[in-house]
Amino acid sequence: MSALEARHLSKAFGGLEVISNLSLTVPPGQRRAVIGPNGAGKTTFLNLVTGWLTPTSGHVLVDGQTVAGRPEKVTQSGIARSFQRNMLLEDLTVMENLRVACQAVHPCRLVFWRSKQAFADVIEKAHRAAERMHLTDILDVPVRHLSYGQKRQLEVALALCSEPRILLMDEPAAGTSPQERARLINLINGLPKELTIVLVEHDMDVVFATCDLITVLSYGKVLATGTRREIQDDPTVMEAYLGHRHAGN
Amino acid sequence: MSEEATIARTPPTARETVALAAQVQRTTCVLAAAVLLGALALPWLSASYATTLAIEIMIGGIFASGINLLLGGTGLVSLGQGMFLGLGGYGIGIGTTVLGLPLWLSVPATLLVVAILAAGIGAVCTRTRGVEFLLITLAFSQMFFGAAIKLRLTNGSDGMSGIPRPDLTFVGLNSDNPVVFYYYVLIVTIFAVAAMRRIISSPFGSVLAAIRESERRAAAMGYAVGRYKIGAFVIAAIACAAAGVLQAQYTYFINPDSMSWQLSGEGVLMVIIGGATTVAGPLVGAAVFVLAKQGLSIVTTEYMMFFGIFFMLVVALFRNGLVEALKAALWSKS
Repeated sequence: MSALEARHLSKAFGGLEVISNLSLTVPPGQRRAVIGPNGAGKTTFLNLVTGWLTPTSGHVLVDGQTVAGRPEKVTQSGIARSFQRNMLLEDLTVMENLRVACQAVHPCRLVFWRSKQAFADVIEKAHRAAERMHLTDILDVPVRHLSYGQKRQLEVALALCSEPRILLMDEPAAGTSPQERARLINLINGLPKELTIVLVEHDMDVVFATCDLITVLSYGKVLATGTRREIQDDPTVMEAYLGHRHAGN
Repeated sequence: MSEEATIARTPPTARETVALAAQVQRTTCVLAAAVLLGALALPWLSASYATTLAIEIMIGGIFASGINLLLGGTGLVSLGQGMFLGLGGYGIGIGTTVLGLPLWLSVPATLLVVAILAAGIGAVCTRTRGVEFLLITLAFSQMFFGAAIKLRLTNGSDGMSGIPRPDLTFVGLNSDNPVVFYYYVLIVTIFAVAAMRRIISSPFGSVLAAIRESERRAAAMGYAVGRYKIGAFVIAAIACAAAGVLQAQYTYFINPDSMSWQLSGEGVLMVIIGGATTVAGPLVGAAVFVLAKQGLSIVTTEYMMFFGIFFMLVVALFRNGLVEALKAALWSKS
């Protein structure tokens, strides 16, 4: 059974069809990159999977079950995502960002009569999330004081806090330095093998270093799916996206 | 810059915040204890006038704390909280004088009815945000204001009189005595502020803060944002209704003016003056509001104009309210 499957997925905004009859299957534990030129519908695809948008037609299936609903329900069912543009709790500390994110999947999330400090397991989990993302040195710093690269790391860390089975990342490397990208690659490769990952990314170094299989989108359709070599040798892909630099490698 | 340096780089201001957080907390504890001791000793230290003002400050403080759970806690600006203040007063008014229920039953019944009403109103209002939320809460409160004027049950614009104060004869006290009533209000205030403090620092409260910072992120984390907002709306309404109960008992009287949008606005002003980021903010704001209004009204009959100027100055000079300004002042000394 596939971990994530899109069946004949379409999404139109008025007359503009951003995703058209897209079908895609990601088996459990696979690391799948979704690439494509700007406007190919990559972020829209993630929004459809995570409940931020409702498909005009078609279905999204997770573990064979249809997913439909609001973003919080999608997260609760084990799918998490990070965002292309940082969406963080800017005035709160790094620790509080992580703690609130971990708390979302803990039964205490509705408790209003006890202090949040009383739930040590949530705090413990937040500490582990910080360690994994190399954020331990800046736990008490308000997020608004972080560098852009640190914010990108936190963006991914927050998605991981809900302990998802499927992680969708929307351009985690966007705007980061080469060092930060190297760190990100290590981090993705260090995630549990059973975690299914869909990575939308423009940076080919990150894609090639982390993903098994690459799907190329163009104008809301799947242009090709294959390994690095297959994609690089595909003339339609070359034309649509990669250009001659990567194709010639 | 090396990789490690990038990660370890912490802005000095942030580092100072961390280092001084404990110290600020200690100072806060000392200040809170001093205020509490002063409040306990007040009836012995001063004329009855001061006790009267203190009662108004505490009632205003509870009201503003309710507003602050929405404004500072969740980032929702309501201009309709006067509706719940009025419902609190009318609730015990109807309960005791119309239905003939004892006060000890009327108060919890009133708070329960307000909670249920707030859940319904909140379910509608929290679907909007920003200016729309402000306007829809205003619209609801004007609706109740209109009903209070028109209904025979509430005695129209004349209002309801004869609202009873608690019967404390079982401990040998008479709550008609201003000092006894002062201590009654003080106890309720301490309880209300402690409860609000706990709620804000609870897991539920931390979700409200997350919603204030980024509603979309809170939803992405897996929180049913709408339910949390309704929850905040209900708790805020209960606090405002509790203030309304005290207000009605204080004056033995309730009329539609307590539901006016002006009163809702005054509550928002209190929060902004004191600061929306702390539990103490609404209390400090209420104190400054009541004292400034009293002080200015002694000096001039045109006190509202000067109060307007005063308010603008506070907002211009202390953007995050007086409590944050005080914190900053203590911080720079140390």
